Order: sequence, then C-alpha cells, then structure tokens
Amino acid sequence: MSTDARKESLRYLFERVVTPLGYKFSPDEQLVDDLLEAEVQLEQDHGAPFCPCQGRTGVREEDMKIVCPCIPFHRAHFDAMRRCWCGLYVHLDVTDPDSLPQFPPDEV
Amino acid sequence: MVDEVFVYALSTCPWCRKTKQWFDDSRIAYDFVDVDKLPDDEQDAAADKAYELSGGRRFPVVVINGEVIVGYSPDKFLEHLKGWGGGS
Amino acid sequence: MTGPCWVPTIDDTTVPDGAYVAVFPKGLGVLLTRVDGDLYAVANKCAHMGCPMEGGKLEGYVLTCPCHDWRFDVRTGVFLDAPELSIRTFPLKVEDGKVHVEVGGA
Ligand code: SF4
Ligand code: FES
Repeated sequence: MSTDARKESLRYLFERVVTPLGYKFSPDEQLVDDLLEAEVQLEQDHGAPFCPCQGRTGVREEDMKIVCPCIPFHRAHFDAMRRCWCGLYVHLDVTDPDSLPQFPPDEV
Repeated sequence: MVDEVFVYALSTCPWCRKTKQWFDDSRIAYDFVDVDKLPDDEQDAAADKAYELSGGRRFPVVVINGEVIVGYSPDKFLEHLKGWGGGS
Repeated sequence: MTGPCWVPTIDDTTVPDGAYVAVFPKGLGVLLTRVDGDLYAVANKCAHMGCPMEGGKLEGYVLTCPCHDWRFDVRTGVFLDAPELSIRTFPLKVEDGKVHVEVGGA
C-alpha cells in the first residue's frame, strides 16, 4: 500500500476511535499530514503506528500504550492540555491549536 | 553568560523541530541529538538518558543549564536562559 | 431496518469454558466464548484498528487484542481503558444443541 493510501486509512480508523473520546484531528492540516506520514513510516519500520513524539522502550506493555491513538492511556494529561502530546488530536471545540500549550503530566 | 542548551529529539516529532527552530530563531547555540537517527547501538543509551532526565518518554527533552524542560515551551525556555535574564 | 435474524452456528458443546471459537454467521466475524459456563458472542474485530481478535488472550471476562493489547470485556464489549469505546456484542441462544447468534440489522 502506498504511503498516501495508508495515511488515509489511518485517518479513517483513528477518527472512529477519537470522536467518542471527545477529540478530533487538529485543524492544523500540515501538522496532521506530517504526523500521519511519520506514523505510516513507524508502522512500516516497527510494526505499529507508534507515537512520533514518544520513545519506545522495547517493553511491550509500555510500548503498546504509545500506539496511536494513545488517548485512552493518557486521558487526564491530554484532557488538561486539550490536545494529545503530539497535537495530532485536539478537543472537539478547539479551533486554534497553536494556543494549546504542551506540558508534562506532572504539571497537570 | 553562555547558556548550555541540549535538546533530546525525535526526527519524527514536529514539536522537536519547532523547539530547534525556536533556538535557531533566537540565535541561541545548542546541541541536539535525534535519538531515532542514531546508529542502533547508540539509540538505547541516548533514549534512556532522555527518559531518566525527563521521567517519561515524551520528546522533546530540553536541558538548559542543567534544568530539564519537557515539551515545546518557549516561556519555560526563557525562564532558564541566563542570557535572557532568566535562570538563577 | 431488518428484523431479528437468528443464525445457527456450532454445537453448544464445542465452545469450551475459558476459550473462544471463531464463527461466521452470515459471513460476519464473531467469537463465541464461554466464561464460568455462560456463553457470550462478540465481534471478531478490534475497535482500535480492526484487527481480528482471534489469537488474543482470554483471561476471565477480558479478551486482549493480539495486535496492540487493547482489552475488552466479553460480557459488554466495553474497552477497559475507555468505556466510550467497545466491540460489538450479539444476542445468542442455544436451541437444539446449537448456538444461535442474532445478527439482524447488521
Ligand atoms: S500523542 Fe497523539 S499522535 Fe502521539 S500516539 Fe498519542 S494520540 Fe497519537
Ligand atoms: S487493533 Fe486491536 S489493539 Fe490495535
């Protein structure tokens, strides 16, 4: 499958996951495109669309919690930022994603 | 007054790129490593170092004069840059 | 809208306790499981990226997807880490020794 086709299918699959959780794809189309492209590459190289902004450890139990969309496993943190760590997803009511700060979970 | 800045980054992470861009635009010298671009045998050590400093696995991890900042956060960068009147 | 559509699948006795069997009523991927004597039917398709759930571990009522380890309760289909998400469940009944699955409105 071509990268573009896989990007489209990830978009379709993930939209169905994040909508019930109160998230949507960021209105920043360029950011979304870059991140999906990175995820397709990670999937090809490492077997799953891992988070482009979080590092794997090689411990399966930990690494499976950073397969996109990882929102269910970082809910309180992401809800506080109103975005996921990468900013691929934002809360449904967000129109200005650049205004959302990125801060670590211990500052929630 | 020379600030020591080091950025642990992933090549796949847009906020890591924005962080480097911010230091470039601010004309502040920094060193960095794209952990995922290192040769296989060096990746683990660099990643472990970033995880240890940050207490997590999120990138970027920015070390300014020994202080660790996790995430793209210009306000916090400024706070810790002595050359900008921040730091202690 | 189609009405209820009960489809006979396999013999009741062929679903062992603490395990599951994949069946395909009307071509639909369904896992029949039995836990503590009670039968359950869930979609053989993960809510994450659509992987077949077959091949995943069943521990108590918890079925873990083999792809990325998302965990679901076979009684309700609910995803343990976010109750807003779930896999589909199907009504079932045993008649004449066979498990019938209701796939109407599929
Ligand atoms: S932080 Fe965002 S992009 Fe990264 S895995 Fe989680 S949901 Fe996906
Ligand atoms: S497809 Fe089931 S956990 Fe990812």
